[in-house]
Amino acid sequence: MKKQVELVQGTLDMLILKAVSLGGLHGYGVLLRLQQLTGGRLQIQQGSLYPALYRLERQGLVASEWGESDNKRKAKFYTLTGAGKKQLKAEEKSWNRFSTVVASVLDAVPEGS
Amino acid sequence: MRIFRRRRQFESEMDAELRFHLEAYVNDLVRSGVERKEAERRGRLEFGATESIKDECRQAWGLQQIDELRADLRLTFRTIRRNPGFAAIAILSLALGIGANSAIFGLIDAVMLRELPVRDPGGLLFVQTAGTSGHDGPPYPFYELLRDRASSYQAIGAYSASDMELLIDGGREQAHGIGVSGNFFDILGVPPVIGRTLTPSDDAAVLISRAFWQRRFGEDPAILGRTLQMFDRTVTIVGVMPSEVMSLERGSPVDIAVPITLSDAARLRSRDALWVAIIARLKPGVQPEQASAEADVLFQSYMADVRVLPQVRKMLFDHIDLTPAAKGFNSLRTRFSQPLIALMILAGLVLMAACVNVANLMLARAAARQRDFAVRLAIGAGRGRLIRQTLTEALVLVGAGSALGIALAKQGETALAAFFGEGRNQIVLDLSLDWRILLFTLAVGIFTGLAFGILPALQASRTDPAAGLQSGSRSVAGSPISVRISHGLVILQVALSTLLLAGAGLFIRSLQQLESVDLGFTREGILTMEVKPPRDMAGNPQWLTAQQEILDRVAAMPGVRAATWATTTPLSGRGRGALLEVPGFAARSENDKDVHMAAVSPQYFEIFGIPRLIGRTFTPRDDSSAPKVAILNETAARFYFGNASPIGKKVRFANYPTHDLVYEIIGVVKDTKHDSVRDQTSRYIYLPIPQYVERLNRLVLAVRCAGVASVFASPVRHEIQSVSSTLVTDNVTTVENQVRQSLTSERLVTALSSAFGFLALILACSGLYGILAYAVTRRTSEIGIRMALGATKGETVWLILRQALILAACGIGIGAPVVFVLGRISRTLLYGVGSFDLTAFGGALLVLLVCAGIAAIVPARRASRLDPISALRCE
Repeated sequence: MKKQVELVQGTLDMLILKAVSLGGLHGYGVLLRLQQLTGGRLQIQQGSLYPALYRLERQGLVASEWGESDNKRKAKFYTLTGAGKKQLKAEEKSWNRFSTVVASVLDAVPEGS
Repeated sequence: MRIFRRRRQFESEMDAELRFHLEAYVNDLVRSGVERKEAERRGRLEFGATESIKDECRQAWGLQQIDELRADLRLTFRTIRRNPGFAAIAILSLALGIGANSAIFGLIDAVMLRELPVRDPGGLLFVQTAGTSGHDGPPYPFYELLRDRASSYQAIGAYSASDMELLIDGGREQAHGIGVSGNFFDILGVPPVIGRTLTPSDDAAVLISRAFWQRRFGEDPAILGRTLQMFDRTVTIVGVMPSEVMSLERGSPVDIAVPITLSDAARLRSRDALWVAIIARLKPGVQPEQASAEADVLFQSYMADVRVLPQVRKMLFDHIDLTPAAKGFNSLRTRFSQPLIALMILAGLVLMAACVNVANLMLARAAARQRDFAVRLAIGAGRGRLIRQTLTEALVLVGAGSALGIALAKQGETALAAFFGEGRNQIVLDLSLDWRILLFTLAVGIFTGLAFGILPALQASRTDPAAGLQSGSRSVAGSPISVRISHGLVILQVALSTLLLAGAGLFIRSLQQLESVDLGFTREGILTMEVKPPRDMAGNPQWLTAQQEILDRVAAMPGVRAATWATTTPLSGRGRGALLEVPGFAARSENDKDVHMAAVSPQYFEIFGIPRLIGRTFTPRDDSSAPKVAILNETAARFYFGNASPIGKKVRFANYPTHDLVYEIIGVVKDTKHDSVRDQTSRYIYLPIPQYVERLNRLVLAVRCAGVASVFASPVRHEIQSVSSTLVTDNVTTVENQVRQSLTSERLVTALSSAFGFLALILACSGLYGILAYAVTRRTSEIGIRMALGATKGETVWLILRQALILAACGIGIGAPVVFVLGRISRTLLYGVGSFDLTAFGGALLVLLVCAGIAAIVPARRASRLDPISALRCE
């Protein structure tokens, strides 16, 4: 089995935005896509997706609509809004900056070795 | 309701969404080969606790606040149901406080704040001539000049209100009329109810008010096209207008609007008569200064060929001024603004007393619920939640109080309107509720709720859960801090009622003084009415004959002692001024020449009981052919002649430069009050009616009767009609009534301040009673011990009574200095009493102490009847 990764605090929102940005999804679909993208290495409690989705919708970053799922069931679908796109871009940027900085610190080698 | 429906929808959707997730996951697991039961177990496990996730979702959606509010409200209603007495007292005191404020504010709104219901009231301006004696309307020819020449104005209109005479179906009637320029209602921008408004080309069309239509014509749908006679011609009703916008005079209703061009031709031509008012709207983009400057240039050139004395010019015709007309022309404002503001302050104090009362009640209850709070704290409620709970309760009480308060205010205002609705100058106020009053009440309510809710809320949050749970509720409630706070509140209540009672005392005393002022004339038993001859009769000797005949006939009526004619009677609200030149008297200013002038019949002085000091009074021989004679009042005689006798001296009226009006002084009579009871007596000159300075088209008939004067009204009218049916009588009243009406605002203030004082007194006493009753309960065991040790009943009563007196004394001590300050502020409203009147203050104290004693007696008696044994056992 592949090694599991714990989610860094505060990144769930960004990941959801990214998942939704690739096309409208229902809540379960978000979970599936995240697992697919991470090759199942990401450990998320399934239920915790929903408060995050509600928060994002409240903030106007995603929009929701009731529709039909693949197996003809009624499901709530989420799509990224304009504000969501902007937010996602900003968060990607700051995440990349953050990881470069952290990486550059961790890559430092002892002097004189 | 919608919130709740949405709330349900939110719940069901959330439920469906989460269920979908679980089912989809379980199905996927089953498809991948897991047994269904196991799949369901794993699904639930990996999903997490559904209820707590739902809660997080709700919170993320911002619903928690609403949920908590609902819980608070539920709890509040439950506690109110459980203790309806408390709620009833709290809501009633709040309703009285808030209602008093809303009612007074409603008056202030109607009298001072409200704008006219016209299109763009802010753009409406008065164009007025101004001088040292204030603002007035310009002469009519200047209006025409301005209308034709000025370029800064979009529209200029003129109007003038006066009583008018109508002939409807052959019957002569009197109505409140207004002469308007053809564009007047277009400038106001008010559409008619039915028909059309006037146009500049109309010269025989009139409009009536909706109220007149209803009152006089029974809302006849065929009113349009109906004709009547006015100004000796036939006019046609072409429209009905909303009553509120028939004129710009607030509070004076107008029945009928006619083209101003129908007015007396001489008047229209007069270049110096001030009788019209001018309203205007400016062209877009024109600044008022610009428009005013343009009008002023025209005005100065206009004045170049108007013959007035330089002094008069300075007083009245100095320059043109534009003033805002949004609120109309409002003499009420100047007359009532001060008393109304004073009343608003008093009402504010009453509300404060009500707040304190409710705060004290809530505090006592919060103390009783200490244990409840302690439990809630112990099981994890935040202190913030407890504060919010208490405030919610306060706001619910205040909400109910406000609703009831508005209803009370409505009732109160009907009563208040009655104060204004009597007499010749009836004031009709539009006291309908508007957004401003509702907003005011809302603001007052919220402020009130916070004000009295905050103390109990803080108290609740200070609860110590450990202590609260350990001890019985009584000992917690009796904690020294909360007792001290509620003592403080009761003292504050007493202070407030001291203030309000002493204030009421001052106003009562002041009114008493005013009512007992020596007016210089008899007010009892005199009936007065105005009589107008038709136009063609007024300048005719036939009018003088008719006057004499009426006097003779009326005087011969059984029960009538005597009758007299006069141009004005004291305190009737009418008056006439003149400028007097006295040889040998050097006037320092134009004001020195001002006198009041009245023409009277020989019997006048006798009927009004005005004593003659020197010389003689008029006789029937002082007629139009006899030498002109005049009588001065004491003040005028002393002012112009000092200690010398004025008899035989000749005086001249300076404001009629065209005639030579010289009168010989033949007597001096005692002073009378004329304009108002408060006034300094003014200088007065009396002339015989046949020798008056101009023709008289209106006279007052004063009839001295035995018994109740008003009973004679219709028989006297009948006599007048039998002399000439063309005479119109109007404004029938008694001198006594007129004196009373001249004190309307004083009576209003006195009545209301007394009511407020009474209210505050009741609130203070109920507060005092509450605290004493509570003290008796709290000190039951102490009292038991005292009695067991031999205290007598009297001593026990005194124990409680003493507490009441100490509290009352503290309150009075705090209130007294403020009474003084308040008295000083309202000095201008008072008459004949100092700002610290001992009688008023002493009276207030006496009432307070007696009531405090009554409030104390019940608890005190209960204390004295305690059975020592059971009292000791009860702890």
